[in-house]
Amino acid sequence: MPGRPSGAFRTMVRKEIMANLVSYKFFIVILLTSVLIFTSLFVMARDYKSRLADYQLIRPKPGEPIAVLAPNPLSIFAKGLDEAMTRSFEVNALGIEVRAGQQSGNAIFAFFPAPDFVYVVKVVLSLVALLLGFDLVSREKETGVLRLMLSNPVSRGTVLAGKWLGNYLSLAVPFVLVTLLGFAVMGLDPQIEFGLGGALRALLLLSVTLLYIALFLSLGLLVSTLTKKAASSLIVLLLVWAVAVFVLPNLGTLLARQMVDVPSVKALSEKRQQIWTREVLLAITEGRGKGAPVWDAARKAHFDAVNSEFDKLEADYRMKFDKLVRLSKNINRISPAASFVYAATEMAGTGISEEGFLKDSVVRYKNIVLKEMDRGEKIHAAFAYRYRSVGQVLAQGGLFDLAWLAVFAIAFFAFAHTAFVRYDVR
Amino acid sequence: MLSALIKKEIRANVFSFRFAAVAALVLIVVPVAVLVLANDAVRKVDEFSMRRSEIENYLKSYAHFNRLRNVVQPAQPPLPSYALVRGISSDVNIEEFDDDPLPVMFPLIDLTFIVAILLSLAALVFSYDAVCGEKEDGTLKLMLSNGLPRAKILFGKVVGGTLTLLAPFLVALILGQIIILLTPRLAWSGADWAALGLLFVGAALYVSFFFVLGLFISALHHSSSASIMTSLCAWVVFVLVLPNLSPYLASLVSPAPSRIKVGRETARLTDVDRDELGQKLVKERLREFYKKYPALTKNSFGAEAKARAEKDPAFKEALEARTKEVQAAWDEANRVQSAKANVLRDDLARKEEAQSKLAKTFSMASPAADFSYLAADLTSTGLRNRKHFAELARLWDRAYWDYVRAKTAALVKKDPLTDWWNSPVDVGDMPRFEYKEESAGARIAGSLPGLGLLAGFGLLAFAAAFAAFVKYDVR
Repeated sequence: MPGRPSGAFRTMVRKEIMANLVSYKFFIVILLTSVLIFTSLFVMARDYKSRLADYQLIRPKPGEPIAVLAPNPLSIFAKGLDEAMTRSFEVNALGIEVRAGQQSGNAIFAFFPAPDFVYVVKVVLSLVALLLGFDLVSREKETGVLRLMLSNPVSRGTVLAGKWLGNYLSLAVPFVLVTLLGFAVMGLDPQIEFGLGGALRALLLLSVTLLYIALFLSLGLLVSTLTKKAASSLIVLLLVWAVAVFVLPNLGTLLARQMVDVPSVKALSEKRQQIWTREVLLAITEGRGKGAPVWDAARKAHFDAVNSEFDKLEADYRMKFDKLVRLSKNINRISPAASFVYAATEMAGTGISEEGFLKDSVVRYKNIVLKEMDRGEKIHAAFAYRYRSVGQVLAQGGLFDLAWLAVFAIAFFAFAHTAFVRYDVR
Repeated sequence: MLSALIKKEIRANVFSFRFAAVAALVLIVVPVAVLVLANDAVRKVDEFSMRRSEIENYLKSYAHFNRLRNVVQPAQPPLPSYALVRGISSDVNIEEFDDDPLPVMFPLIDLTFIVAILLSLAALVFSYDAVCGEKEDGTLKLMLSNGLPRAKILFGKVVGGTLTLLAPFLVALILGQIIILLTPRLAWSGADWAALGLLFVGAALYVSFFFVLGLFISALHHSSSASIMTSLCAWVVFVLVLPNLSPYLASLVSPAPSRIKVGRETARLTDVDRDELGQKLVKERLREFYKKYPALTKNSFGAEAKARAEKDPAFKEALEARTKEVQAAWDEANRVQSAKANVLRDDLARKEEAQSKLAKTFSMASPAADFSYLAADLTSTGLRNRKHFAELARLWDRAYWDYVRAKTAALVKKDPLTDWWNSPVDVGDMPRFEYKEESAGARIAGSLPGLGLLAGFGLLAFAAAFAAFVKYDVR
């Protein structure tokens, strides 16, 4: 490369940042991002605190055979399935009775997804990154700046990389500052305790976010190098964005359902009621009026039958459902938005896999409690659940999602580079 | 003149790149979504009929009143409209251990979603440069030099732009309808078509609101690149933020007691506490009772007592009286305890209802939410249908208990000593729960306020756009 490449590169980066700082576009998108992030953190923190207050009311007393998880403080950032994970699982002779928390009482929750940090990033920040990237090449071609720039002895690669980095920094730096400020305010709240592990997970979440933004900036750059007019670049990007963020992941799940035969939850619950009812009847018919020992034996035999059939149903459902989850995950990963959501929620401990592990753990707990009940014990062991460690999360799909996002980001940039080298700047 | 303006807008739009892009998107996404949804709906229909026949089979062998009500629970059958709109029908079933949390992660895509998100975005893409873009090109100056009133220009833009937007959507919808017609298992009735027609009207109002909003923002700016930024920010707030924040804000403003706590308390009241009270009452009543019937002792139960009753009519009479006495005691225990539980339940329901209402009110500031509610209510997949279903279930529940009373009275008459609660019973004549969709007339009447609201939003935006455009400096 002729001249001082690093100097030219630095100039490019500085030029992009300076240009952004004085533009209306930059002002309004940063304003929007900051307002949304603060609003989201405030609202979700209040939600967390009210769920925590509920948890204090419902936490099991020592000896009660009840499994309830405290709400996860990281659900402030990634709500995910925390609502499902913090239900109360109450073990009795016939298995697990479930009670759901507050949000099943307000039907409007079911209409719209939770406005947490992950949602803001998934939807709004990706859009903002595209808005920064869409006219990087085509606008400068329209205004003639690109021609002037390339008449200097700088390589096109340097120009493109400089543009990318300049815009990335102008978005990422304010975003990280705003987010860290938000995290710090949360950290100062005495009711919200992240602990060291939580803080680490939050930082990991932030880095996934940065990767996700990089991806969309690269995509913007790519489309910008493929179009001659900034206006058409924007239209293409908006449509691609809408499809990637809204259409693909939502359609993918539905598509997966048509390939894997999973019984509906309603069907399963009806089956359970039928089994239970049948065994109650059989127990009564066998044991009625034949004295306590016969009745107790019949009762025991049929309750055991209920439990073992429930377990079978449960295992069968879980097997099929896991298959569905795997398939839908793999289909949805076509869209980086889905990969991002999976990685972010699993890191926060509110993802689909974590929920599965929790359920396994609840089933094991139920079996322990039932054995204790058989022995006539009235005081039961407490339920404990350890969230998977960050290492486990990364090993079980997290790393794949991260790599997948990185591959997208790099591939988009590489294509952008190829297109830019051949770009007609006249 | 107006028609010339409209024609000009349509012509300019139809040959633009954005029209091609939006039309391609809509023409692909709508039919694909309908295809997938229709397939899914057919599967749901199959599964539902299988569930029903399973229950009927089951009732033939194992029906007994002790647990019958748990087996014959009212269930919502899949509706033909599921091929287009899903509303809140997806069963996450968070109250069951085996729930289905996938829709929590990614909501289903349906026609509502496509209109609410994709079409509103497309509307802004069509109108963000309608004023400032023409100013940049210099055509606005020329147009106004012809002595055209600004109101007419604005109106021409709105009509022309909205029509070009709705045309590809209408074509896509017709493709979707063809898919539905080719799926005969989804028997669409006249009411469904009427609801769809009104849904289209709602979509048109919704889309024109966003078009006019873009126009308004365009008339506030002098460069189209600034205008698109403001438009997108407004869109994000209206479509993606306001509706999602509303339930959370409502739960802050109007909290409800912990569901789990209330659930546990009511369960204890009607189970453990009920048994305690029942046993106490039985003991009390029987203490008096045994004084009256010395022939009976505490141990006169089971087969032995039954055999003696065959021979001894006085003993039999006493036995019957005791059965009645015990039943009366348990009835009283049930009554007292369920009254206590109902107080708690009613309080919870009232507070949750208030919260839901407030959340809905908050969210109605967003036309996207208004449109979602409208679409869900028109197709019986929303809150309106929840209420309707609950009412049907309540009526059926009453009929069911009437049936149980009549049936058990007959059984007791036949054999006063029968344990009707725990014996198999023939329930061939039991009333079955039949879901009937709310009449189309009621649904349509119920949708009018929503349509009015959307139209109101549109008029408001138009007034704002007009005010901004009149003052617009076209130089």
